[in-house]
Amino acid sequence: MPLFAEARAGRERVIIFILNIALLIFLMFGFRFWGWKGICGYAGMLILIIAFLKNIWKRPRYINLTLIYQILFVGGFFMVLPFYWMVITSFKSYNEAMAFPPTWWPSKFHWSNWIEAWNAPKSNTWGEPPVPLTFTRYFYVSILVGVITTAGSLSTAILAAYAFAKMEFWGRGLFFYVVIAMMMVPGQVLLIPNYITLARIRWLDHYAALTIPWMASVFTVFLLRQFFITIPADLWDAAQIDGAGRFRFLYRVVLPLSKPVLITAGIFDFLGNWNSLFWPLIVTTRPEMRTLMVGLQAFNQDAGSDFNLLMAASTFAVLPIVIMFFFLQRFFIQGIARTGFK
Amino acid sequence: MGELERLTRRHTKRIKLLHRNLEAWIYLLPATAVLAVFWFFPVILSIIISFTNWKGLDTWSTVKWVGLTNYKNVLTDPEFHQTLLNTLNYALYSVPLTIIISLIAALLLNTQICGRSFFRTIYFLPFITTWVAISIVWRYFYDREFGLANYFLRMMGLPRLEWLSEPRGIWTLLFSQFGIKIANPLLAGPSLAMFAIILTTIWRGIGFYMVIFLAGLQNIDRSYYEAAEIDGASTWLRFKHITFPLLSPVTFFVLITSMISSFKVFVPQFIMTPSGGPDNTTITVVFHLYEKGFQGLWLMGHASAIAYILFVIILIITLVQNHIFGRRVHYGD
Repeated sequence: MPLFAEARAGRERVIIFILNIALLIFLMFGFRFWGWKGICGYAGMLILIIAFLKNIWKRPRYINLTLIYQILFVGGFFMVLPFYWMVITSFKSYNEAMAFPPTWWPSKFHWSNWIEAWNAPKSNTWGEPPVPLTFTRYFYVSILVGVITTAGSLSTAILAAYAFAKMEFWGRGLFFYVVIAMMMVPGQVLLIPNYITLARIRWLDHYAALTIPWMASVFTVFLLRQFFITIPADLWDAAQIDGAGRFRFLYRVVLPLSKPVLITAGIFDFLGNWNSLFWPLIVTTRPEMRTLMVGLQAFNQDAGSDFNLLMAASTFAVLPIVIMFFFLQRFFIQGIARTGFK
Repeated sequence: MGELERLTRRHTKRIKLLHRNLEAWIYLLPATAVLAVFWFFPVILSIIISFTNWKGLDTWSTVKWVGLTNYKNVLTDPEFHQTLLNTLNYALYSVPLTIIISLIAALLLNTQICGRSFFRTIYFLPFITTWVAISIVWRYFYDREFGLANYFLRMMGLPRLEWLSEPRGIWTLLFSQFGIKIANPLLAGPSLAMFAIILTTIWRGIGFYMVIFLAGLQNIDRSYYEAAEIDGASTWLRFKHITFPLLSPVTFFVLITSMISSFKVFVPQFIMTPSGGPDNTTITVVFHLYEKGFQGLWLMGHASAIAYILFVIILIITLVQNHIFGRRVHYGD
């Protein structure tokens, strides 16, 4: 009996595999030879399978799974296509990138595109900037600003979240509601006054303008507070008996326990800072103070239709985050899932 | 003796209380200091600035109080009306489409297929890459001569489209194929240029909302489904009476947050159509704010008024959504 079930499961997998490949090949050739009619044919076939088999008898599992795989694969193709195109184009020559019909694999791999794109900012500045201007500089600014801001944001958030979660104090409720009310205000309202403030104290075009306004994040405070609340009070009681003060308790007990949440919060803070465009755009004017995003945007305006260079720049701008994502996937997904349950 | 003891005890208790409060406030100090200066204070400052005629290099001594003039100028500005229409179109088309598609993707991914984490990674990848880079890639995608979008259209035997240069609305374009003319700007829908950006937004947003829906789906108790199977319910009925109601808190949250963030959008329009798009049909409210406040005449008073009007609009829409959909949310037993 068990052998029979196993053989059936194995056979099922083979059937699903073959069916999927067949359907996908049908889609590809239908598209190539019959254009949009081919696609309609493919869609019609899928709908036929759903409707027809639904009425005759209950659909076997392998049909259901095949359909699900088909939809996911076709969807997945469109998800990945822009990335594939970005990387492929970054290796093409200028003429090949401008070719129509476009080629799906470069005839020659022009690694020089990457070097040219990396050095491109140099040739677009007026006069001699005090610092050599290539994408190295842009990366340096972004990384420095990101690390400093994230460290600052985490520090202030840890202290504040701990106070909210574990301490009794006057004005606790008031603070809470003021903070929540402030979260409702869109960031765009703060842009102009903050800009004016920074202009008055002459922080514009300096690292201070890029980092200090973001040293406290309400979102991070809440995220950490949610976690700190779950730490049992018995731990604190035990620590008190051992003679520990609050800060030592925070440092030696709470923080080691909160490592996953801290990493998640750190990732989100860093990414938020890394990806921001509007604020760095308005507070920096000197090219050497540009973050990566502003540099990329400036390059986009300067390079016009040099798409092979633009794609190369986009690729190496995106690469660090993608690599980071593959190593820290767990924290990303967990963090996002957590935000859905406020 | 007893009186003195009681008084000292009360005194020490008071000092301990003060000590405890002080400790808490010191912990809160760093965060509060930054938030007070760069969040709380600016909110008030912003209103004040919007009542002045602040321009670029002005200081507090050189500006003039103008009352509600800025607000009047903004609300009667036809450019602003166009901007508002653009943003509204953007929100109304991108939010529902993104939610529906990501819900479907989450439902599909929640089944017992193998390779779930593979698909989840692929679908999530667009979201973690930066808006700026994505906008640059899709700008190439939508290029009239060399873009992949028109390549696919040609392969299917359809004519090329102007994509990012097309000012006509999508409904106008569609119905003109059947000989019907739609001239009303409100009915014409977003311009094809804006719709192209909407497609990019949907592409990017699917992964993010899919993950949120997946988490919500996985929180639904198995026993509900088992009971439904015993009763012999079909897939559609299962979805309608179990999945959808129990998912409604998540759906509600996703709806509100995506609506709010779609009103604050700036990057894709700025990168793909830096000049405001064909006939100014891709300028969003924040883009308009940037143009007015940080370019040209640097009219910061005017731009502050725009920012506050945006705030009010977002508030109203959130309250309306809360009212309409809030009571339909099923919070479980």
